Amino acid sequence: MKILLVEDEPALRAAIVDCLRQGGYLVEVAPTYEVAYEKIKLYQYDCVLVDLTLPDGNGLDVVRTLKADNSAAGVLIISARGALDDKLEGLHLGADDYLVKPFHLSELNARLTAIIRRRQFRGQHHLAFRDLVVWPDETRVLVRGEVLTLTRKEYDLLLYLLASPRRVLTKESIAEHLWGDEADAADSFDFLYTHFKNLRRKLQEKGADNYIQTIYGIGYRLQAE
Amino acid sequence: MKLLTRTNRYYLLLTTALFALGGVVLYFSLNRALRSEVDEQLLAQQQALALSWHPAPPGLGSAGDSLQVSRRPLPGGLREVARYDAQEQEMVPYRELSFPVRRGGATYWLTVRKSLLETDDLLLVVLSVMLAVLGGLLLSLALLTRWLTRRLWAPFQRTLGELRGYELHRRGPLALPATPVDEFTELNQALTQMSARLAADYRSLKEFTENAAHETQTPLAIMQAQLEQLAQDDTLQPASAALVGELYGTTRRLSRLHRALTLLSKIENEQFTQAVPLQLHQVLAERTEQLRDRLAARDLDLRVELTSGPTLLMDASLADSLVHNLLQNALKHNQRGGFVWVTLHAGALEVANTGPAIAGDPSRFFERFRKHNAASDSPGLGLSIVRHICQLYGFTLSYDFAPAGSVHTLRVDFGQKTA
Repeated sequence: MKILLVEDEPALRAAIVDCLRQGGYLVEVAPTYEVAYEKIKLYQYDCVLVDLTLPDGNGLDVVRTLKADNSAAGVLIISARGALDDKLEGLHLGADDYLVKPFHLSELNARLTAIIRRRQFRGQHHLAFRDLVVWPDETRVLVRGEVLTLTRKEYDLLLYLLASPRRVLTKESIAEHLWGDEADAADSFDFLYTHFKNLRRKLQEKGADNYIQTIYGIGYRLQAE
Repeated sequence: MKLLTRTNRYYLLLTTALFALGGVVLYFSLNRALRSEVDEQLLAQQQALALSWHPAPPGLGSAGDSLQVSRRPLPGGLREVARYDAQEQEMVPYRELSFPVRRGGATYWLTVRKSLLETDDLLLVVLSVMLAVLGGLLLSLALLTRWLTRRLWAPFQRTLGELRGYELHRRGPLALPATPVDEFTELNQALTQMSARLAADYRSLKEFTENAAHETQTPLAIMQAQLEQLAQDDTLQPASAALVGELYGTTRRLSRLHRALTLLSKIENEQFTQAVPLQLHQVLAERTEQLRDRLAARDLDLRVELTSGPTLLMDASLADSLVHNLLQNALKHNQRGGFVWVTLHAGALEVANTGPAIAGDPSRFFERFRKHNAASDSPGLGLSIVRHICQLYGFTLSYDFAPAGSVHTLRVDFGQKTA
């Protein structure tokens, strides 16, 4: 999977590149509009992550250029501008999603996975991890071929973990993914704990033990054998 | 009171005083002049009579009413008396003069008199004319005021109208025209300059808010991303990992706090100007749906009563924020096994919840950074945001606590703002 990251802030760029490479993506970077324009004209990408405020231009023009060229690349806007208007304009131009800074890298991963899945396989795609297979379009989860029945929130939680396997996910990012801005309530981590407990128990009942690891003080991780 | 009415009041007071004073002076001087004229006539008569008067033969009576003859001595000199006048049928003031005349060895006392009735009539005429002039003056002043208000003050009224309809965030500075009156032109110039300064201040404040909003989020985004990458490090000691986790949580808190403050100042600066008609019950239904999980976890009973919710002219994100913060508050300060009752009807939205009684002045709950529990993670801006949104749209926000059952109720009255 080839990704182009258009972001002018070096430190943020480095962290995002680091995260995406750990996730197995091929990442190229463009710190300016000019470089970005050149790259999208020369190469094909599976997805372009674009910041809106660039030193020499507007990120929305990158989106416009991609759409004018009928590019197959997915577009994810990352911006500090959280106003509804900016969001609507970006989506109207044909961007697939819009993420407001500061964001969780694991949330970025989840959105990116969703965009690529939708674009490349027209939805006919499953996620697999160890003995676990998930068909997102049918909302079906199988453990060694057996159907695993989950609640809506447990399913969302599992899908979020599967988007960043082997990666430590902070409890804040998981809570915000599940409950949006309701996650700032003091008790949201308690529920998260309850949901994880239930998910672990259900996985265990189907013989999928030790899939979810708790990282003390930070969060959770879907761990390899 | 209008300025012209006020000016006129003083003007009239002065005029009336002057007229009264003039009347008194005129009355006394006229009175004096007329009386001395009468006295002169009486003295002239005395001189003529002293030379030519002869006693009439007895039985012929006195020669006319104005002359009285007496043999008894009378006090001499001029004096004023009231006598009955048969013609006027009333007591009439007279001026009379008595003096002795010797004729044929005998002394006769003659009295001549003149009626003062004409003199009094004259005074009356003078005073009535003065009163009539005063009345006329009053009437013409009133008419002049009306005309002046309509004509001279027209530019002032225009300026006032412009100011009343002036909205800083909709338009730039005021452009008030020059007028034929110097004072009004100066006023208009001063107002135009002031509004230009205000518009500049507003612009820079808006820019600052926007810059603060964007530029602060970038370093926060870097911090958060780097901390998240640091958390991936397998060699991290548990104690350090816990610190990283703490730092990560704090970064999120800072970011949320910043967002809430930015929202507050944007509301205060009235930067939300895109009001659209929206159905509050839809917002409410979405938000309560998202809360199901948390309600269930705390055994809270949620009852939502939506009877034909109002259509409000509001910014969509503010409507969402209003509902969200009211519900958050009802949840946050609730107790296990309690309830949240939401009632929405055409005129008001009411959120009632159980919860421990709160000490302190209820009006201060809406202040910024007001926390019931100091250890709480939440910055305590929720109700402050609610209050600001209510102020922006002219809604009335009220709080009520019923000790029976320990029920807190927050009520938002929409007033006339419904579309």
